[in-house]
Amino acid sequence: MKDFKYIGKDVVRIDAREKISGAAIYGDDIDFGPKLLYAEIVASTQAHAIIKGIDFSAALKVPGVYKVFTGKDFPFKFGLYMKDRYVFAQDKVRFVGEQVAAVIARTPQAAKQGAKLVKVEYEPLPVVLDQMQALEEGAELLHPDLDSYPHVPWFFPKGGTNIAHWRKTRKGDLDKGFSEAEHILEDTYRVPRYAHCAIETHVAIGMLDHGGRLTVWSSSQSPHTQRHLFAEALGMSHKDVRVIAPHVGGGFGGKAGVTMEIIPAALATRLKGYAVKLRYTREEEFINTYQRLGVVAKIRMGVDKEGRITALDHKIYWDAGAYVEYGANVVNAVGLSAIGPYKIDNVSIDSVCVYTNLPPGGAYRGFGYSEMLFGLESHVTRMAKQIGMDEIEFRRLNAIRENDLTAYGAHMNPNGLIECIDKVKDAIRWGDKPLPTRPHTRIGQGFSIFWKAPAMPPNASSSSFLKFNEDASINLIISGMDIGQGYQTVMAQIAAEILSVPPHRIRVETPDTDRNPYEWQTVASHITWSSGNSVKAAALDAREQILDLITRVYHYPKDELYLEDEAVKCHTQPNFILPLRDFVVNGIMTADGTFKGGPINARGMYMPEFSSTNGDPETSQGGHPNVHYTVGAAALNLEIDEETGKMKVLKAALAIDAGKALNPDLVRGQITGGLLQGLATVLYEDMRYDASGKLLNPNFTDYKIPTSMDVPDEIIPIIVEVPQPDGPFGARGIGEHTMLPAAPMIANAVEDALGVRIKSMPVTAEKVAMSLFGEDK
Amino acid sequence: MAIAPTFEYARPRNLEEALRLKAQYRERALVLAGGTDLIANLREDMIHPELLIDIKDIPGLDKIVIEAGTLKLGPLVTFTQLIEFGPLGKSFPMLLDASRTVASVGIRNRATLVGNICSAVPSLDSAPPLLCHEAVVHCLSLEGERHIRIDDWFTGPRKTALKPDEIVTGITLQPVFHSGSGIYLKLGRYGGEDLAQTGWGILIDGANHYRVAHCALGPVPARASKIEALLDGNQLNEALIQQAMDLVPEEISPITDIRSSKEYRTHISKVILKRGLLAARERLAGKDIDPRTLLGGI
Amino acid sequence: MKEIHLTLNHEERSAWVETNETLLEVLRDKLGVKSPKCGCERGDCGACTVLMDGKAIRSCLVLAVEAEGHSILTVEGLSPDKLTALQETFIEFNSFQCGFCAPGIILAITELLESHPKPSLEEIKESIAGNLCRCTGYTPIFDAVMAHIQREDK
Repeated sequence: MKDFKYIGKDVVRIDAREKISGAAIYGDDIDFGPKLLYAEIVASTQAHAIIKGIDFSAALKVPGVYKVFTGKDFPFKFGLYMKDRYVFAQDKVRFVGEQVAAVIARTPQAAKQGAKLVKVEYEPLPVVLDQMQALEEGAELLHPDLDSYPHVPWFFPKGGTNIAHWRKTRKGDLDKGFSEAEHILEDTYRVPRYAHCAIETHVAIGMLDHGGRLTVWSSSQSPHTQRHLFAEALGMSHKDVRVIAPHVGGGFGGKAGVTMEIIPAALATRLKGYAVKLRYTREEEFINTYQRLGVVAKIRMGVDKEGRITALDHKIYWDAGAYVEYGANVVNAVGLSAIGPYKIDNVSIDSVCVYTNLPPGGAYRGFGYSEMLFGLESHVTRMAKQIGMDEIEFRRLNAIRENDLTAYGAHMNPNGLIECIDKVKDAIRWGDKPLPTRPHTRIGQGFSIFWKAPAMPPNASSSSFLKFNEDASINLIISGMDIGQGYQTVMAQIAAEILSVPPHRIRVETPDTDRNPYEWQTVASHITWSSGNSVKAAALDAREQILDLITRVYHYPKDELYLEDEAVKCHTQPNFILPLRDFVVNGIMTADGTFKGGPINARGMYMPEFSSTNGDPETSQGGHPNVHYTVGAAALNLEIDEETGKMKVLKAALAIDAGKALNPDLVRGQITGGLLQGLATVLYEDMRYDASGKLLNPNFTDYKIPTSMDVPDEIIPIIVEVPQPDGPFGARGIGEHTMLPAAPMIANAVEDALGVRIKSMPVTAEKVAMSLFGEDK
Repeated sequence: MAIAPTFEYARPRNLEEALRLKAQYRERALVLAGGTDLIANLREDMIHPELLIDIKDIPGLDKIVIEAGTLKLGPLVTFTQLIEFGPLGKSFPMLLDASRTVASVGIRNRATLVGNICSAVPSLDSAPPLLCHEAVVHCLSLEGERHIRIDDWFTGPRKTALKPDEIVTGITLQPVFHSGSGIYLKLGRYGGEDLAQTGWGILIDGANHYRVAHCALGPVPARASKIEALLDGNQLNEALIQQAMDLVPEEISPITDIRSSKEYRTHISKVILKRGLLAARERLAGKDIDPRTLLGGI
Repeated sequence: MKEIHLTLNHEERSAWVETNETLLEVLRDKLGVKSPKCGCERGDCGACTVLMDGKAIRSCLVLAVEAEGHSILTVEGLSPDKLTALQETFIEFNSFQCGFCAPGIILAITELLESHPKPSLEEIKESIAGNLCRCTGYTPIFDAVMAHIQREDK
């Protein structure tokens, strides 16, 4: 195994100094001077209603209010995978909180005053808050024109219903599979909605200058995708739309695609010469940005007498909200992968995307796999118990191995799933529970395995520019977003390794779509792999240019040259050391006084040319929709107070196959952060809607996210490395995956400790206690 | 989100000035101390004062002292000051427990105990200790002084007995028992800061005297007088504790809201009462107990 | 409009403010200090934390007019020439990810260490219990503070 200088090392983040000194600029930190206007949204109070009229005459009288805009001003549709959304509600509102109008004013106070005075008249329509209700015969149709919505070819909406997309995966012969089963278990699992809760809320500023050029600053995971959607929707050339991304204070999927950013972009086109800012309050962040979709999952699993899974029928009904332009892809992704990391020959998956009168569901760390694995991994543990087999042995037996077929008939990539399982089993000391240290407590152990593939279109690509500066420091010009995961540092490490320039001599900035080349989106845990490949290509391009130049000037054979310590050296000429800084911009002066070479500027690009989505619409067989899967395993020891139901994670172990951990410290950071976020969704995060569709807890007072007091006593991160053949240095992504096993592990541990099986999330202390002490237990 | 309402702001340098303003403006003026409740309410359009009277410049209002066993607190005493007041742990441990559960350091550095009782939310952590220790709220107006027993202070959710022209100038707490100890136990949803879904204060002495009070289980915090009557004069044992637990549903009127159900609140209250009585007794015997570990979860 | 005078990051500053402007808004929009962030405007998240007279407060719950005559310190003022040893340790330990919560947490720990130079892990946890971090899971923050304390000890 080659020993690398920077790859695989715990390199310190190259953006750390900026953030820790307070210098880092986030969206709301940018000053615009006197030309700044503030937008305040008027939100719908109805979950489903016809808009009869909007009277904003009183708002216009507030001193400082400049203009008011409504849906009439922007009657076009937009969307990432399907065009079903609007800038402002048109004839109808479809969820409480939907933007109906915007008041523009010179101060935020005036904007707020004005917004309070806008009167909207609604004619209520029947409200549908539950996906099963939305599927019933005769249910209110939320999108009667569904058939007319443009969408990507791999979506299958059903006009005349609330089904926005139905992904069907059929493999083998399900009936035969069940007939071969000695044991069958069937049950239903429920997962509600969740909120991302990045500490920085969404913020975007739009400005159309007097020359007709639109610039949008946005806290975003997807600057190029945003530029594309704005240009398309607003009818402008891409060269005239510029998206500048400042630092992002957390994304977790919520800042992917386009949500509220289109509002200031569109408003700007009517406020020429001004910059208009929309910054969401925490309440608006809860109510009107993407949420994680809700799920009702029906699982029927058959197992033969050896313990092999012979059949799986997995029906998943998604509460996808009022607009599904992004959420429908969550449904799609899971519809292809809801077998979990198992080899199962006879499979039927129905993943159904259902419109409801709730906020739009969208990308959230895990992209549907957390929701799916809660049911599946709970079910697997129960299945193992039913047949009297140790649940780890059961998983090991059925684990998917390299080259086994996935649910849609492609071959599984190389992976260390067995190694992950075995290492976690050791680390947690499975079967050897610690003794309770307090009275009234029981200890449970929970286990889960997990997998996820990036959900992306087959042409999601990455590109990079790389330029040397006079002193041989480097500007790496790329359009992925560091949303905290450490992207900038890891890309610098890749370039550093190839060019022998230390990572801290490489600058990576947040992108400007005018200057930085295309990157699809920073989502899907795919940019270490994809953008990493493009950066590697750019670095190799630079290296080629450098070595070609040296060969041309000095006539040393190229294959004897190498780069080390920021200089070109030669294996056969030990005295030849030419520092990069001597020539990477200025060229090399030759004997006759002329200069050869010049500025070294390089480029790289990565397109997954093997990916395709031409699977059969009725079976999903064929095509290669998922580039590869990342796998892992996790376990925990849970202490439960059997009188109060309160739970504490004593120890958790999580193993993930990163292919090659380019920066192990940052991988460990994802394990710790992701695991805690996952534990929060199962233990105490709890969105509550009332019967009218209003969110009752749009704040941190009552939607609890983890604090420093909620950290497990011990977390054991385990990095497994079975190389991804087409990844940079063998790497594949891991950022989302670390959340995935948390929920089923807890449910499994609760059953282990107390004998109680809880099949709905969240698994709160109250639910646990009431399952033991409640009247209806 | 900006604060939309506009208002005047005054910073009197002495109490007379403040009282004059309060007498003049009455309900249209609010007293501003720590502001952690008031500013949030302003922003959410819950209150619309014409004037804020900032009393933080008035000298002498931040005193905290124990005189002849009585704890005396001025209206500017913050929760941080309370927690850092050395004698509190020995003499009024229940109040120390409760103070430590209020929000977080950054809030406690500003939030005052007096401000807390003026907000009068049903889930007020400081209420059970104040009720158990027979606190008296001292109010002043240009008309004169009033001394309101804490039992009469809370008149409804977010309502107090304070008159529109009055300012609270202090609170006093009595030890009540010659050598007692107490504990405050609170139910939250996780390890981080939370408003109490139920909170119980239990005071006990070596002669089997008891005081028990709760919050978040009715429109106002209150004493559990039936449980006190049951326990009074009796040594704690398993049977007595069980009887006390059985009385809990008669003492409280919890609701189901987004934080908790009434069933869970009732159930947990029984568990808290049991564990609290035993823990208070242990503290009385000199044992060091961290109440936050008593319910599990952290 | 009132004119307020305060000491901000060791400098005497003044600003014209409305009574309904918060300290957070005025610091950011009128006094040019951007490190305190707006996260929730209810005092729940701690991103707006600044030190007032050495104590951590939620600047979103303080009116600018209340700051008259007081001394405010933000992360920019902690380290006018170079970063503090604590900050360097946070960098070394990769303690922060997106960085949005970092200024608040750094100030909260700074306040703690002023009065408790050798806090226990529990005390460290409690000092930042009101600063929400969604990215890190907090452990790398604890690790850095513990390492910093050990180093200061030597």
